[in-house]
Amino acid sequence: MPGFEYLVAALTLWHIFLALSGVIAGTVIGSLPGLTATMAVAVLVPITFSMAPSSALILMGAIYTGAIYGGAYAAILLNTPGTPSAIATTFDGFPMARRGEGDLAISIACLASVTGGFVGAAFLLMLSPPLAKVALAFGPVEYFWLAVFGLTLISALSEGNLLKGLMGACFGLLLASVGIAEISADVRFTFGSQVLLGGIETVSALIGLYCIPVLIDLVATPDKHLKVTHQPRGFRFFEALAISWKAKLSLLRSSVIGTLVGILPGAGGSIAGLVAYSEARRTSSRREHFGKGEPEGILATESANNATVGGGFIPTLVLGIPGTPPDAVILGALLIQGVRTGPSLFTEGGSIVYTFIYGLFIATALMLPVGLVIGRYAYRTIITVPKAVLVPTVAFMTMIGTYAIRNSVSDIIIMIVLGVIGWILNRFGFSPSPIVLGLILGRIAEQGFVQAWTIGAATGELWKMFFGRPISLAIIVFILFSLSYPLLRARWSRRAGRT
Amino acid sequence: MTTRSPQPKRDIGGMATACVFIVLSCIALWDTTTMMDSDSYVFPRAIAIALIVFSLLLILYNLIRPGERAPVTAGGESTPRRVMLVAVMLLSCFAMPWLGFLLCGMVSFGLLMMVSMYEPWTTKRRLIYPVVAVAVVAGFYTLFSTFLMVPLPVGFLFE
Repeated sequence: MPGFEYLVAALTLWHIFLALSGVIAGTVIGSLPGLTATMAVAVLVPITFSMAPSSALILMGAIYTGAIYGGAYAAILLNTPGTPSAIATTFDGFPMARRGEGDLAISIACLASVTGGFVGAAFLLMLSPPLAKVALAFGPVEYFWLAVFGLTLISALSEGNLLKGLMGACFGLLLASVGIAEISADVRFTFGSQVLLGGIETVSALIGLYCIPVLIDLVATPDKHLKVTHQPRGFRFFEALAISWKAKLSLLRSSVIGTLVGILPGAGGSIAGLVAYSEARRTSSRREHFGKGEPEGILATESANNATVGGGFIPTLVLGIPGTPPDAVILGALLIQGVRTGPSLFTEGGSIVYTFIYGLFIATALMLPVGLVIGRYAYRTIITVPKAVLVPTVAFMTMIGTYAIRNSVSDIIIMIVLGVIGWILNRFGFSPSPIVLGLILGRIAEQGFVQAWTIGAATGELWKMFFGRPISLAIIVFILFSLSYPLLRARWSRRAGRT
Repeated sequence: MTTRSPQPKRDIGGMATACVFIVLSCIALWDTTTMMDSDSYVFPRAIAIALIVFSLLLILYNLIRPGERAPVTAGGESTPRRVMLVAVMLLSCFAMPWLGFLLCGMVSFGLLMMVSMYEPWTTKRRLIYPVVAVAVVAGFYTLFSTFLMVPLPVGFLFE
């Protein structure tokens, strides 16, 4: 392990102050629907230009990690993922909040995020160069199969009606193809509308599909938004700690999944969270409680999405290939500072990179008190604010947050229309999650498929292209296992029942 | 909130949605015929066909299997308030290029307050709520326009 002189360098008052400020700023920005971790890093990056490279990296890493965690607040309390990474947090976070356990859900999310952050940073510290090679081994076809693997989660997200889940996913995949095609630049499904040329923005769609139905139902009755218990219960930290300890294996597995997915350029926290959620559900003894407010679901997604922070830095620093969109912004800031990323950064620029990694550990540790305090404040605000103030505030936040993504009023209209569609579909038993999954994975799947198809057709080895590469085959095995596991499990249970 | 009706019913809503999806898929398939490059149409065409197949399966499944209980809406929910919420949000979007984000935000905030108000308008509420509305809208407007440097629309009328 690299020398402790770097740990000492990271432990200066200045660096601790930067880490603390970054985590606070990131958490607040990430908690606002529409403001993503990328935006949090991008808007605050100019502050770092006058700093030393290691200090700048610590601040940006702290903002990034705080923003990923902050996304959990809106996911748990408003059923709206603050950032796309928190999509799967809504599945169990919001049901927990509805039954009056939002405070516990936030503490669990905080503990999981800290654990995931530590695991990601540990991988970054100790295994960066060998793991960076994994990123290079992933070609278009592997991304295609990875997206297909992600789509197998539909069976987990469709709440007992697989056909409706598949239909929702197809609808999401069609929505993802609206606009200018990324590879051929053909205009698709715009029907002459200028507004649709840029396609449907994923975060706007997320806000619409998750938040607008909540608002529509909120105004329809005088009932409270969340169930309120009037006994003072503190942070419920030890309760959250006990739950996390009980699910320690799931927590660790999800953190490793998050780190590995984070290493893959372009995959990101949303896929990491969804894959970790699916695996946690598959292996849990309480799998039937998932989607109904199961704390292990929050543990899985929140640890995985925060682990992508450390994982994403591996290809960014070793190869100069950003692992996640915020990494791309950070990479740009480093280039402005004259820092050349690459394998030599770990040998020649050890003082920069290792001081930063230890700084990331410090920021992750600071996320625990910061996250608990801000989370408690957010929870108390949501449960005490009267409905006549809460509804317009959330509606205004969704509108301004959506506008801020591409500075477009059309995006707000699309967001509202998608929200109404989501609400109607929900009434007929169609969950919004498969639609969102299709929307997110559609672009990755299509790009991977078309590129692999083109290469395979050009080389005359189409079959080999899709089914002849070792990593592809490994993912295909996972896909088949993931699809057949519910059937196998049912068969095993029947057999166990007979004996 | 949903409850179960006592009589077994077919999933009419699901079947109607499946029909809408079939129509949408047919429109999508027709649109792909105008695309020149196979890279553009292979994927969406495959998805549209899959959506038609799944929708037909859902309809078929509902027609041949014994009827099942369909979820129905419980009473006491206000549809006019729901419609007003969506209408206010959409109208404020259409008015935004003329009135600007700040004014539209304040007007829509006030209207949404009235839409979601179930308690009586006491004097205290009449005094406090408008102040809260102005503070929230102005606060977020300042945060986004000044600190996050988002160019929020000012409005043609105020340029």
